[in-house]
Amino acid sequence: MPPIPLPTAVPLTYYLILSAILFALGVAGFLFRKSLITVFMSIELMLNAVNLTFVTFSYQHKQVDGHLFTFFVMVVAAAEAAVGLAIILTVFKNRGTLAVDEIDSLKL
Amino acid sequence: MPEGYLPIFVFMVVALLFPVVAIVAAKLVRPSSPFATKLEAYECGIKAASSSRGRYTVRFYIVAILFVIFDVETIFLYPWAVRYQSLGWFGVAEVTVFLVILVVGYVWAYKKGALQWV
Amino acid sequence: MLDTIFFYVFALLTIGGAIATITRRSAMHSALSLIVSLLGVAGLYLLQKAEFLFAVQIVLYIGGIMVLFLFVIMLVNLDQAAKERQFNRQWLLGLVASVLVGAQMVWMLNSAGVLSLPAAVPAPAATGPGNIEALADLLFREYLLPFEVASLLLLVAIVGSVMMAKKTS
Repeated sequence: MPPIPLPTAVPLTYYLILSAILFALGVAGFLFRKSLITVFMSIELMLNAVNLTFVTFSYQHKQVDGHLFTFFVMVVAAAEAAVGLAIILTVFKNRGTLAVDEIDSLKL
Repeated sequence: MPEGYLPIFVFMVVALLFPVVAIVAAKLVRPSSPFATKLEAYECGIKAASSSRGRYTVRFYIVAILFVIFDVETIFLYPWAVRYQSLGWFGVAEVTVFLVILVVGYVWAYKKGALQWV
Repeated sequence: MLDTIFFYVFALLTIGGAIATITRRSAMHSALSLIVSLLGVAGLYLLQKAEFLFAVQIVLYIGGIMVLFLFVIMLVNLDQAAKERQFNRQWLLGLVASVLVGAQMVWMLNSAGVLSLPAAVPAPAATGPGNIEALADLLFREYLLPFEVASLLLLVAIVGSVMMAKKTS
């Protein structure tokens, strides 16, 4: 039985606006949280917003290239999380704090 | 489309409702008389040494890292398994190269003692 | 109709989880809210027929990356930090900048004419061979080099993170 071709009631625009909001929330978290771990989590939020845009456009164009890009973004995110969190652990061991304000050795 | 996922959705709703109903019903039925002695270790059980929210050793973290990396590897193998027939020997060669590079990392981690639980 | 309801449910999960992530005091609560947000995004993938990505989002993001986050939060003692000031000194600047970024993106989408696009019609391809088959063909034929390079990236990630974590212990 062929499925009935219902047009989706949700326009593409909604997905894009949702992804823009998600990205802006990620930027906000990145810029004003103090704990390094929460800053890192905000980066994950931004990555997800971009992934959502990729999938949305992929759906619109009826191609799976966007899915593949999203997949690679996830792979890179996994590698990034492994190394990044190890760096965070080292920073915590050396400085005893994860506050971004206080990790300022490079500042003149 | 969510139509095909309706059974999963029903399953999810049931799975969510079950604990909620069970906990609420138990709360309504059981008598409540809290006092401190009830919370202690039973009979000859050992008293808790410290808070369970304390810090863990970093060894757990190394295992978690290796888990994530090889998780990614497994996910890469999944599409290959789906398309195994049509990709043929070309696919086998590709995946072999992919796996060899990762096995190098595995052997390195093994030699380095990252998998040892001292 | 069902689609619209599910879209709003998942969008609510995503945005709500994201807001909780960036505002919660305890890092543990932030991580758990982020998991809710990622689940919402996974649901949106499913609505757009990206079944493979839905599975990967759950297995890799929630089951892998977020577990790493939770481990690190348990490794570093943040009880003290939870009682202190939560925002850094430039928070006002950050707020202005993030509002600007959001406004700029909406303006850009608008000027590109994306905001007036019609609703997407479901892809007819999904009734034939599934999403994963098409993806596998693309991955193993056209995107061969990125696939092999990904293994190098993972190798580097193993070496880098084990070295750094070993030194910490």
